[in-house]
Amino acid sequence: MSILEHNGAAIIAMAGKNCVAIGADTRFGLRMQTVATDFEKVFKMSNNVFVGLAGLATDVQTLRNLLKFRLSLYALREERDMKPEAFAALLSHLLYEKRFGPYFIEPLVAGLKDGDQPFLCGMDLIGAPVYTNDFVVSGTCTPNMNGMCESLWRPDMTPDDLFEAVSQCLLASVDRDAMSGWGAVVHVITPDGVTSKRLKGRMD
Amino acid sequence: METTTSGFSFDLCARNARLEGKAPAAMKTGTTICGVVYKDGVVLGADTRATGGSEVADKNCAKIHYLAPNIYCCGAGTAADTEKTTELIASQLDLLRLSTSTQSRVVAAVTLLKRMLFKYQGHISAALVLGGVDCKGPHLYQIYPHGSTSKLPYVTMGSGSLAAMSVFETGYRDGMAEAEAVALVKDAIFGGIFNDLGSGSNCDITIIRQGGVPEVRRGYETPNETAPLRAAYARPASLRPPVGATPVLSTLVDVFDAPQPLAL
Amino acid sequence: MDTGDSSYSYSLTTFSRSGKLLQIEYALMAVSEGKTSLGIKARNGVVLCTDKKLGSKLVDRDNVRKLESITPSCGVVYAGVGPDYRVLVKKARKQAQTYKLTYGEHKPIRGLVQDAAAVMQEYTQSGGVRPFGVSLLVAGFDDDGPQLYQVDPSGAYYGWKASAIGKNFKNARSFLEKRYSDEVELDDAIHTALLTMREGFEGEMNEHNIELGVVGEDRTFKILTPAEIKDYLDEAN
Repeated sequence: MSILEHNGAAIIAMAGKNCVAIGADTRFGLRMQTVATDFEKVFKMSNNVFVGLAGLATDVQTLRNLLKFRLSLYALREERDMKPEAFAALLSHLLYEKRFGPYFIEPLVAGLKDGDQPFLCGMDLIGAPVYTNDFVVSGTCTPNMNGMCESLWRPDMTPDDLFEAVSQCLLASVDRDAMSGWGAVVHVITPDGVTSKRLKGRMD
Repeated sequence: METTTSGFSFDLCARNARLEGKAPAAMKTGTTICGVVYKDGVVLGADTRATGGSEVADKNCAKIHYLAPNIYCCGAGTAADTEKTTELIASQLDLLRLSTSTQSRVVAAVTLLKRMLFKYQGHISAALVLGGVDCKGPHLYQIYPHGSTSKLPYVTMGSGSLAAMSVFETGYRDGMAEAEAVALVKDAIFGGIFNDLGSGSNCDITIIRQGGVPEVRRGYETPNETAPLRAAYARPASLRPPVGATPVLSTLVDVFDAPQPLAL
Repeated sequence: MDTGDSSYSYSLTTFSRSGKLLQIEYALMAVSEGKTSLGIKARNGVVLCTDKKLGSKLVDRDNVRKLESITPSCGVVYAGVGPDYRVLVKKARKQAQTYKLTYGEHKPIRGLVQDAAAVMQEYTQSGGVRPFGVSLLVAGFDDDGPQLYQVDPSGAYYGWKASAIGKNFKNARSFLEKRYSDEVELDDAIHTALLTMREGFEGEMNEHNIELGVVGEDRTFKILTPAEIKDYLDEAN
């Protein structure tokens, strides 16, 4: 079993009309044993950039700190917020810098670009970017999540519809994955603000 | 914390050696890529599938990378390696152009790439098809991950290279016209898309003409489009979860420019 | 910076008893002995102009270039010691490429200026080196609009609406003060640049003994060809 599957995770990012959503489970496990059910895997980087980090929990937190640090430094130096495109490029750069000794993280970036257009990007553990217009997934049950998203995603969803689609994809996917689940959180990002909801799901 | 170092960082290698049972797989491009020299230049082609194991990770990724205004490069192998290696060489070529005020030469690009790949002894797994036009005419090279290169009139690389080469061996002629060359490249890529499981989705094409602006035809042909299939039937109501369907435990609304997040 | 034997070398730039850094003042004198360069920020772009008179008519002027681009949207020119300038240009280009590889976008003009200024400052305080004998004029167009900066040997930098450096810079600057308007268009700014340059020009100004560079709303810094410069000169006459 790969070290990427040591702690378990399921993260989905999805685009709607002038909005994006990113949702993740909240389990923190050690292989088959669940240790905590309130583990954060999705982080707000700025008003228009969220990042989801699936993989080894220690690297989730290290990378979160590193990204916060680089983002703060950027904001101080350049006196502006980082665009999601630049954030994804930075993250990809940080991952590939460790090409031969990687962080065990497969991240997702979700955000709103200029003109409130959705931005979605996934990466493997050494920073190969995948840009999509519809949805992107990462974690220990990617086949489940890809299958659910292929079925439930449709173009130009409203924030409310987007929330339901992401939530249902996530809940259904983690029910068939032993390594993820135990609660979930979904953030819907719009130009005016972010709505974050904790979902009720199976706790087994 | 360092932010200004350049090059690879091996900080985590020792830790990872202790952690790893089996190294996790990076994303591969699977891939069919190819190129052909024709009368007035070079045509490059690529499929657009990226895979993680047997799962399709990206249905429409771009595998024809920019190196210089007159040079492009198709990449197969580990997705991050092809992406970052070509980015790095593009940057080096840009600096070289600024300091010499001349157009980049295709051999220069090949030499920079092969030196870099040889230095890493094949650990950077980028298999490349590089094509371009310079003051010496059109050139097409293939570059293996270990740094060996060959200059040929038609080349294929990636898991679909055999399928594509079978098309080239049947259809290639010296001094083809542009339309013929483009059609041949498209057929070769289709050979990979439909016969190699590592390749799929669309055919991208880039045409680099002698003394002209390169033509980047992203999605030149899209034989596997899903949108029309989806639009062809009415989505069942069960695939449209109604608003309020998901049970929610708590909600937090963060209105930008509001003083405090609101708990609902 | 690594000068090899840094633990044994001391900075040559030290305070005099009157509180001045004489090496920096000498560097500024080297700058004011250099050929004139000037820049004007217009409403929709920036123009840079420099005097390219050569020491002898035997010099092959095709191989002399003073204006350089750093990124596609940023150009730079200098007054002072030419070889020092090329060191700064090389460093700035490399920093710009590193930025692009990290963030996937072009480095903002202010960032380029800040980093060039930081290098120049470092050379006023490090052991075994002397300050750069150049002032830079940096022109660019990015999300913050058209910008013109001047960087001095001390590492100080300022944003300008119009500025001149090198020989006769005081006269040129007061000429620009009289002529400048905030609403000026790029084409008019080019003419003002040529007029200002002509003010202190020794001998006749033509398309071969000056250089012109412009960056407009297309965010592409362009170094004009002699033929293009000639068109502007003919218009001005």
